[in-house]
Amino acid sequence: MSGAVGRKIVVVDDQQDLRLLIRLSLRTLGEVAQAASAETALALLQQQAPDLLILDVWLGEGMGGLELCRQIKADPRTRGVRVMLLSACGQQSDIAAGLAAGADDYMVKPFSPEALYEAAAGLLDK
Amino acid sequence: MNAHATPPVISPCPLPTDEEQRLQVLLDLNLLDTAPEERFDRITRLAARLFGVPSAMVSLIDAERQWFKSRVGMELPETPRTASFCAHAIRQDDVMVVRDACQDERFAHTPLVQGENPVRFYAGSPIAVGDGYRIGTLCIIDSVPRDFGPEERDLLRDLAGIVANEVAAIDLKLAAERQRRSEHAVRALLDHLPDGVLLLDDSGAIVSCNQAAERMFGNSCTALARQSAAAVIGVEPAPMVRHEGVVRRADGGLFAAEITIAAMTLDERQHLVVTVHDVAIARAERERLRAANERRHNYFRTASHELRTPMASILGFSELLLKRDFDAATGRELMDIIHRQATRLISLVNQMLDLARIDSGGSSQLHPITLDLRAVLVKMHGALEDPALAARVELHPGPALPKVFADPLRIEQALHNIVSNALAYSTPESKVEIDLRLDARDGQPGVLATVRDQGIGMTPEQRAQIYDAFWRGGALPDVAGNGLGMTIVREIVELHDGVIEIDSTPGGGTQVGLWLPAQGATPA
Repeated sequence: MSGAVGRKIVVVDDQQDLRLLIRLSLRTLGEVAQAASAETALALLQQQAPDLLILDVWLGEGMGGLELCRQIKADPRTRGVRVMLLSACGQQSDIAAGLAAGADDYMVKPFSPEALYEAAAGLLDK
Repeated sequence: MNAHATPPVISPCPLPTDEEQRLQVLLDLNLLDTAPEERFDRITRLAARLFGVPSAMVSLIDAERQWFKSRVGMELPETPRTASFCAHAIRQDDVMVVRDACQDERFAHTPLVQGENPVRFYAGSPIAVGDGYRIGTLCIIDSVPRDFGPEERDLLRDLAGIVANEVAAIDLKLAAERQRRSEHAVRALLDHLPDGVLLLDDSGAIVSCNQAAERMFGNSCTALARQSAAAVIGVEPAPMVRHEGVVRRADGGLFAAEITIAAMTLDERQHLVVTVHDVAIARAERERLRAANERRHNYFRTASHELRTPMASILGFSELLLKRDFDAATGRELMDIIHRQATRLISLVNQMLDLARIDSGGSSQLHPITLDLRAVLVKMHGALEDPALAARVELHPGPALPKVFADPLRIEQALHNIVSNALAYSTPESKVEIDLRLDARDGQPGVLATVRDQGIGMTPEQRAQIYDAFWRGGALPDVAGNGLGMTIVREIVELHDGVIEIDSTPGGGTQVGLWLPAQGATPA
């Protein structure tokens, strides 16, 4: 946990309550910024690429999480960002689509904050 | 004493070789155990008088008995087949004569010969019907031995022939009835086929067709028969496996059809049977099923997503509260979220159940009464819990309007959902106006309730999605609701044969019209 200093995490979810939950779950891992849409997240990423992105799949009306993930992994400047998809869509086909979009991990809502912490810590240490 | 010691021997009469079919023919005639009929009785009376015998019968040989369709001088309606003279007579082609039964090994010991009024003389001529099945005899008996010469045999044979003709007449009538029923069944079968069937004669003219063909071509069979078959089916009538073509209805409309033509011989003349399969109907049905399946799949996928989202907050925050220490204010904030999300979850479950009930129950779920829409509006307005929201709603009930026949709770629910959207997607200081007026749709009188807001409005794309389950207008992030409101509105309105109309421009507000037919109005 001492290595947490300086790590940057961005949480993208259209639900305010869930952004708070994720932030509280991961706050000892590093600095947690948040975005309510894929477009806001892209703007944040262009300022400074984080170490980890916790990304919802269904983001209301704008760009979806899968598309954002594909763009991040296609862009050499952001390719190194670890992406964990965190979605209430939990079918095998949903998970397969998420990994095909380049995500490093896929977690299904509802989730245990402790399990999310462990998975995020694992990704950051890769 | 010795004579009594030996039991009388009655050798059973062997069965005719065609016994099984013979019995079936007899049963099919439906003659057994029927009332006496004059057409047979006059023949037995005539026989008794002509031959000067006390008894004459029309005897039918059933499996275990002989039964008399007509009898003169015979008390018993039937006797066992084992003791029957006639059972022997039907095994012969011609008249069987027993001059003296006491002298005949076959009958000497039978009850008829040994009984109180013994039979001594018997003559019987088989009655042959159908393909020569001998179902019984015309027979005469006497209590004294007699001679029976060739002329008498001829006479008895002729009388039996008359009996056979009478039986044949019954058979003919039955056959005609069977034919009529079978034709009726074939006609019913043809008329229940989904495909059109046309019968063409050897000149290619339409002779008859089934109901499906009349429906497809929009014309009666008689009217179709006046046209050339080629003009009706759009292809030269000749045997073919399958022709895909476009067929014209009487009203000029076209439809895609698969046409099969088969040759058939009827009354020694060549006919053609044309089968017309409306491809569009089958295609539309397949498409409808596919779309319904896809809708159901999407609904469950989205429903699962929508249920899991509040669950994520409830489970996640409660786990945090259980495992970590928070200051009192933060703890309180997290519990607020849990409570809010649990409330959202239960409201979502309730709405989903509501939608499922309306969806599966159809109009049987409705409890319609004669209804004044103004009263429903006033009640809905009064039921808005938040006084600040209620104050933003202005009712313009208009003049007296026709009543509608509708379920008051469902219509209130529909209006409430529309008004809730209007309030949620507009600014807190703006008004939502509702007016009622008389308006017709497709010539049918009805009442139109219009809900108008000055809110954010919708793009055409958003407008197209408004009835999708769980879809929410997204531009205002803090709008609560679960995206089922308008789905429920549409279900309710459609169950009432009503119309829902939406007019909206981004930034220019939204206007939703809910139209219901006036009570007693019939569709135009």
